[in-house]
Amino acid sequence: MNRYQTIIAGLCFILLLLTGCSTTQTSTDSKSNEDKKVTMIFSFKAANLDPHTGFIPIRAGLTETLLKLDQESNIEGWLAEKWHTDDNVNWEFTIRDDVHFQDGKKLDAKAVKDSLERSIEVNESLGSSLKIKSMKADGQNLSIQTTEPYPALPSELVNPYTSIVNIEAEKKAGKDAFRNNPIGTGPFKVKEFKPNQEVQVVKNKDYWAEEPKLDSAKIKFNEDANVRALALQSKEADVVYNLPSESLSAIGKDKELAIESVPGLRAHFILYNSQSPKVSDVKVREALDLLLDRKSIANDIMLGHGVPANGPFNSSLPFGIDDEVKEADIEKAKQLLTKAGYKENADGKMEKDGSPLTLEIITYKARPELPLIAQLLQSDASKAGVDIQIKTVENADTHLAENNDWDLATYSNNTSPRGDGSYFFNTAFTETGALNVGKINMPELNKVIDELNATSDLNERTALSKKAARMINKEVAHSYAVYPNIIVGMNKRILNWKPTAEEYYILTHTLDVK
Amino acid sequence: MFLIIRRRLIQLIFVLLVLSLFTFTLMKLAPGDPVLTILNADEMVVTEEDQAKLRNKLGFDQPLYVQYGKWMLNLVQLDLGKSYMNGKPVWDELMERLPITFELTMFAILIMGSLTIPLGILSARKVNRWPDQLSRILALIGASIPSFWLGLILIYVFAFKLQVLPSSGIGSYSQIILPAFTLGFTFAVVYARLLRAGLLQSMSEDYILAGRARGIKEWRLLWLHAFRAALLPVITVFGLSIGSFLGGAVVIEILFSWPGLGSLAVDAIFSRDYPIIQGYVLLTGVFVVIVNLFVDLSYFVIDPGIKRKEGTL
Repeated sequence: MNRYQTIIAGLCFILLLLTGCSTTQTSTDSKSNEDKKVTMIFSFKAANLDPHTGFIPIRAGLTETLLKLDQESNIEGWLAEKWHTDDNVNWEFTIRDDVHFQDGKKLDAKAVKDSLERSIEVNESLGSSLKIKSMKADGQNLSIQTTEPYPALPSELVNPYTSIVNIEAEKKAGKDAFRNNPIGTGPFKVKEFKPNQEVQVVKNKDYWAEEPKLDSAKIKFNEDANVRALALQSKEADVVYNLPSESLSAIGKDKELAIESVPGLRAHFILYNSQSPKVSDVKVREALDLLLDRKSIANDIMLGHGVPANGPFNSSLPFGIDDEVKEADIEKAKQLLTKAGYKENADGKMEKDGSPLTLEIITYKARPELPLIAQLLQSDASKAGVDIQIKTVENADTHLAENNDWDLATYSNNTSPRGDGSYFFNTAFTETGALNVGKINMPELNKVIDELNATSDLNERTALSKKAARMINKEVAHSYAVYPNIIVGMNKRILNWKPTAEEYYILTHTLDVK
Repeated sequence: MFLIIRRRLIQLIFVLLVLSLFTFTLMKLAPGDPVLTILNADEMVVTEEDQAKLRNKLGFDQPLYVQYGKWMLNLVQLDLGKSYMNGKPVWDELMERLPITFELTMFAILIMGSLTIPLGILSARKVNRWPDQLSRILALIGASIPSFWLGLILIYVFAFKLQVLPSSGIGSYSQIILPAFTLGFTFAVVYARLLRAGLLQSMSEDYILAGRARGIKEWRLLWLHAFRAALLPVITVFGLSIGSFLGGAVVIEILFSWPGLGSLAVDAIFSRDYPIIQGYVLLTGVFVVIVNLFVDLSYFVIDPGIKRKEGTL
């Protein structure tokens, strides 16, 4: 063996040595079948496990809220058995009598009160969401008085930020320790937490509903979609959220894996600037609405992982409307533009007073499908003689809020994060709403929103939400394009589990493995 | 030597001042503020009033020079402020992440060294033969391949196909191999070419010829005389490219879910967490100056034969 062969052999030896140690590590990590365990990978990481500022504790089954959403996104009791109000100001919640925190302390109304107070103190925007004036605890009964009639309170108590934790445990352990190991009532408790990296949980044997099926679970965080997909394919992970569409066919071919594509609570849509002289004409907006090819967006851009939209909320939700999805119709769009005073010139462009209809659409890359929707609209609009220029910005919210010279924008919102439509109406359509960047002000709609805000009867709320959605559609305040699906890849060894639209309840006590 | 250290410390203050002014202005000129992110507007009912209140609380409604002045005043008292997103002191956040990035960087440098030295020597000893050609091809690959792509390829091969290494995470040595290799490789192959050039240059120097004529063995000439001199340009370039090294670490940290300084900076940029961004930039500035100081000082150790005027290099 000469010198160079010795060097090469040496390098090979080092490589083998490194690979050797790692093999042992991986096999103990994922191949052991002694305990029932799963590994999940989420796309958003967590720097701590404070349930009042992050969603991971509820997703990891560590904490629970007073109320929750069922499979159909209806609100149901969770830690609260029942609730009642006569005037939408004074609320009575009956807390379950059979629940204990993970450290053994019994859950009562006083503990819930303390926890809610902490959540309002810790979370910047929770106070104005909950509108709580005062709370009184008596045994298992919690009385809440709101600052104004507030029928949306139950919906706001579904919010994971209102998770119930044992404040006494925080006092004992200290703030920082508690943020890494919150004591809740969920089916799992923290075993080890590595900030921004992973949380390992073990089952809470004394869980109030029933003993969890899994012994332990590991939730990792990785922001790179390709790495997540590869981890699922290598069986390093059992459940992976937000897969990149290019990996779907490869995953679909693997017999051990399945892809779940469930309708989410988000809507991608076109936002119109009410201050733009060109799109302030409802006829122009109607024309643009007809130029939006929703089917093509769902099939070609979302690759089938989305449903064409007919309003702000997914039709599968109780308060979603079941009107027909608008078909793209270039001829009809042209007729509408003619009614708005535009004429087709010699170049085939629609023009009014000698100037062609040229619009600017703002888009951003944070959601990769949005620029594609803008391109599709641009292409279809050109067939109707409308020239749309695309401008891509980095931060759409700020650009739209700080500039008045845009005409339309691609946008995306979680329109019903908590089983209720009022959140979206209040933030995207009222004058003071933070997401109302198009400065929409429809007096008739405002009245309906006010009425909705003051109504507690669920059926009436549903009817009002539908009424508001139809008014928005009639005035074409927004053009709803598609409801994107949540794409989750999972190993078929997972039993009794399906991803849900709200993405809150991921690690549950019923989740099992083969 | 002390003169150099003193000069570098003065330089450090100047660098930090310019850096802070530059980043502060650029950040404020860039569109976007963290208010909607802090208030979590995509999940919570947020009004314009809530936004205005928070803007006022964070001081965004004050003129730029007042904001900078206040920040500077705190900095002089060694207070980098608090993160907008989680309210933790910026210093604590940085110090929490620093060891993690340090670990990755150290391993990357180790891998870089263990690739650069044999590859550089081999190609210098076998000019235009296969080891040299191989090193040339590797250098071409290293210079042209984006590090995130190399990382993905390595994950594909070692985590997915061979299943011998985990794809991400930290904690065990097996988890450090892929990110450290990804980071170290691109630099190693380029430095190997530098080392090769340096070795060829110094092996043709008169003192080596003289040594050869005196019958000193070739390996002794190479290791004890030529290698030291050839190492100088490599170390100089390393000092200059420490910024790129930290920049590369950002991409690697995101890809391999490595919660170090790089991923902290990226998160801060996305959420416009200005105090964290400022803290990160300043810390990186300190690093670059300190590493370059060490590089300069290392010249004394590596090549004490070079005569210098006191306090200069």
